[in-house]
Amino acid sequence: MLEIDNLVAGYGGVPVLRDINAKIAAGEIVGLLGANNAGKTTLINSLSGMVKPISGRILFLGEDISKLTPQARVELGIVQVPEGRLVFPEMSIRENLLLGGINAHARKHRPQQMEKVIGLFPRLGERLTQSAGSLSGGEQQMLAIGRGLMAEAKLLMLDEPSLGLSPLFVQYIFEIIDKLHADGLTILLVEQNLNLTLRHAERCYVLERGQVAVEGDAETVKNDPRTRSAYLGL
Amino acid sequence: MTELYQALAQGLLIGATYGLLALGMGLVYGVSGVVNFSHGDFISLGMFMCLALYSAFAMDPYVSIIITVPLMTAIGALVYIFLIRPMVGHQFLMVVQLTLGLSLVLQNGILMVFGGEPARTPSFVESKLIILGDVVLRVPHIVAFVVSFALAIGLYIMLRSTDFGRSIRAVHQNAHAAALMGINVGRVQVLTFALGIGILALAAALLLPGTPIQPTQGLRYTVITLLVVVLGGMTNFVGIMLGGLIIGIAEAFGTIYLDGPIGLLLPYIIFVAIMLFLPKGLTWSSAR
Ligand SMILES: Nc1ncnc2c1ncn2[C@@H]1O[C@H](COP(=O)(O)OP(=O)(O)O)[C@@H](O)[C@H]1O
Ligand SMILES: [Mg+2]
Repeated sequence: MLEIDNLVAGYGGVPVLRDINAKIAAGEIVGLLGANNAGKTTLINSLSGMVKPISGRILFLGEDISKLTPQARVELGIVQVPEGRLVFPEMSIRENLLLGGINAHARKHRPQQMEKVIGLFPRLGERLTQSAGSLSGGEQQMLAIGRGLMAEAKLLMLDEPSLGLSPLFVQYIFEIIDKLHADGLTILLVEQNLNLTLRHAERCYVLERGQVAVEGDAETVKNDPRTRSAYLGL
Repeated sequence: MTELYQALAQGLLIGATYGLLALGMGLVYGVSGVVNFSHGDFISLGMFMCLALYSAFAMDPYVSIIITVPLMTAIGALVYIFLIRPMVGHQFLMVVQLTLGLSLVLQNGILMVFGGEPARTPSFVESKLIILGDVVLRVPHIVAFVVSFALAIGLYIMLRSTDFGRSIRAVHQNAHAAALMGINVGRVQVLTFALGIGILALAAALLLPGTPIQPTQGLRYTVITLLVVVLGGMTNFVGIMLGGLIIGIAEAFGTIYLDGPIGLLLPYIIFVAIMLFLPKGLTWSSAR
């Protein structure tokens, strides 16, 4: 479904990511691991079009999307649930969800899509008129995921969904991620939390200072000594 | 007592239009972080366009808006795309300087075309009055009040319940997240600026009947708008409309009760007094 081909990207012409090669097959759940500042968010933002590539290509469903705007990519179904959730705090849950489905492709199906999201997160359905800013961190994460689903994602990219959540909420969010995967959604799961991700992802990439240090199935990644050193920054 | 009612009524009526002027500025600030110091000169431009249309076709200002609103909206879009956008993201002061420069260009452009003599644009309602007890109300002021409030309510509904309005609020609250929703942030910024200038074209026609105009008046409108926007808390819808009414009333009281310069200073004195006690302006509730 997604193919990253020798991608170099960064800020102000200075590369952060160097020669990234990666693949995600349809229906797969892939983990993207790495220590703080390894470049995980930069990679996910390159896929979203928020960071422009310096060189290399990104193919989505066989098409080169590396020059497309963020809007065009959302319309194709490449949807990001950002780090820190970034819900619109002064808007209601309902308005946040409506904004999730504002792209030209998803706009027509918003009522049906909203029913699905509320089915998945009944807690959001109970407080549609409450402002997003008044929700707890865990509830905001539900909202951020729900908002992403409203966009009719084909590839859902979650940037550190467990960040700052209580263990109970982390467990709940990961159950939801498993459920979405079981329903056939393709997922890129960005996490710092190594063991948690290895339990839920089918395959993983470990980033170290902007490069892929280790890749493979969960077992391979777990047993590779370079994984540990990537985390410890050795 | 009559004078008091007269001042209150007059201030309220004109204050609604000040509120509308400030809503435009507040919206632009909210989505682009740009404070437009040529705001008042665009009002001038709108007024002088009405004057030109009157001179050429004897067109009433209320009719001229059919031409001035689309024209000024387009001018607003072009100004944003070619002048302001390249500066956004640089130093805030560079944008300020740019809009100040634009103010001088507009002012002198108008001066070159129309000359410096005060001019009037007649309107069919200009001299009509409505008398309520002892209070005399000028019909153009009533029209300005009603239309300004209707527009403000329209804007409010647009912001609350349309996709475009929600996009504007989303960009204001978190531009990065808005882009991730698939909102074209640049487009929202251009359209909001254009909308702000289009509103000024309308406000110009509302303020025009019976008011002598001259090319140098722009700064006065810019300053009044800034007072209202700051008083209202920059992006607070209700606060801004209320700020407009307060400044309008202060101005009316100043001109009716106090002589000369002190009277003209009253809005500023009231402004400073309110800001001393409420440094964040009138933002007790967030309407956005
Ligand atoms: N907006 C930015 N401008 C410049 N440098 C950035 C920006 N965002 C991140 N970086 C740099 O890029 C590197 C990777 O950061 P990031 O992608 O956020 O890592 P991670 O998500 O893995 O923690 C860091 O060195 C960080 O300082
Ligand atoms: Mg990150």
